[in-house]
Amino acid sequence: MPGVLELSEDARGRLTELRALSEKAEAGDRNARKELRRLVRSSSPEVIAEASGIAQRAEAMLTKTISASKPLMEEALGRRLALMREEIAGESATPLEILLTERVVAGWLLVEVLEGLTAAQFYKGAPKSSRLSPSYIIQQSRILESATRRYLAAVRELARVRKLQATAPPVQVNTEVNVLRG
Amino acid sequence: MALERRDGNLYYYRSVRDGEKVRKVYVGAGEFARIFAEGDILRRTSRKAQREREKAELERLEALAAPVEELSEAAEVLVRAHLVDAGYHRHKGEWRRARSA
Repeated sequence: MPGVLELSEDARGRLTELRALSEKAEAGDRNARKELRRLVRSSSPEVIAEASGIAQRAEAMLTKTISASKPLMEEALGRRLALMREEIAGESATPLEILLTERVVAGWLLVEVLEGLTAAQFYKGAPKSSRLSPSYIIQQSRILESATRRYLAAVRELARVRKLQATAPPVQVNTEVNVLRG
Repeated sequence: MALERRDGNLYYYRSVRDGEKVRKVYVGAGEFARIFAEGDILRRTSRKAQREREKAELERLEALAAPVEELSEAAEVLVRAHLVDAGYHRHKGEWRRARSA
């Protein structure tokens, strides 16, 4: 049974399938493209919903950490995140844009939490007993670096999806009229 | 590190790594031997406790980052699938729309 912060086995399976089909379709496999279309239509909404659920639970965990369980700060941060989400997603966002927005917000929050924890190590007033070793700080910086990279990638991805959606030509509906001549 | 008793006297030696070899270095005898030995035990125990504390803290940080990574991976796969489905392809890392699509 998956943990509360993990995708279900089913969702993971569908993601693996989507990844494999995307690769084949990109390589020119027509059948893979057809199958990809079917799978995107049928399983995307569920996977998006599940991933968004993970984002919200991750956010709750991170908010608790950064606010050190102080209710007022936790609430203020929650509001700030809601505002941020609204601003980034904008009106009439597609489910995919909403998921990418969740990713941007969760990424930003993780970077903030890790930066706060790293900065605390350099605070001169901290008691010597609570100081950590250089090897720990290096490890912590690596986690922060990877989180920053993911956050920036999330921002880029959202911008890219929006740009492509904006430049995509509108759907064209062709109607065929057969005129029978007697 | 060892506290050795020979002929009724107490001697304390530390083990020091010298390349691939470990050398035994004499530290002191008698009451000094006992004091140095106890000091070393204290230092070793506190270093071990700190390592354990740091390990637990790093595990906590990784646990905080794990769901964001999971979300990130899922989003990446979905974006790629949606773009390929919509007729886009990658050219030198950049997504482009096929003319025929």
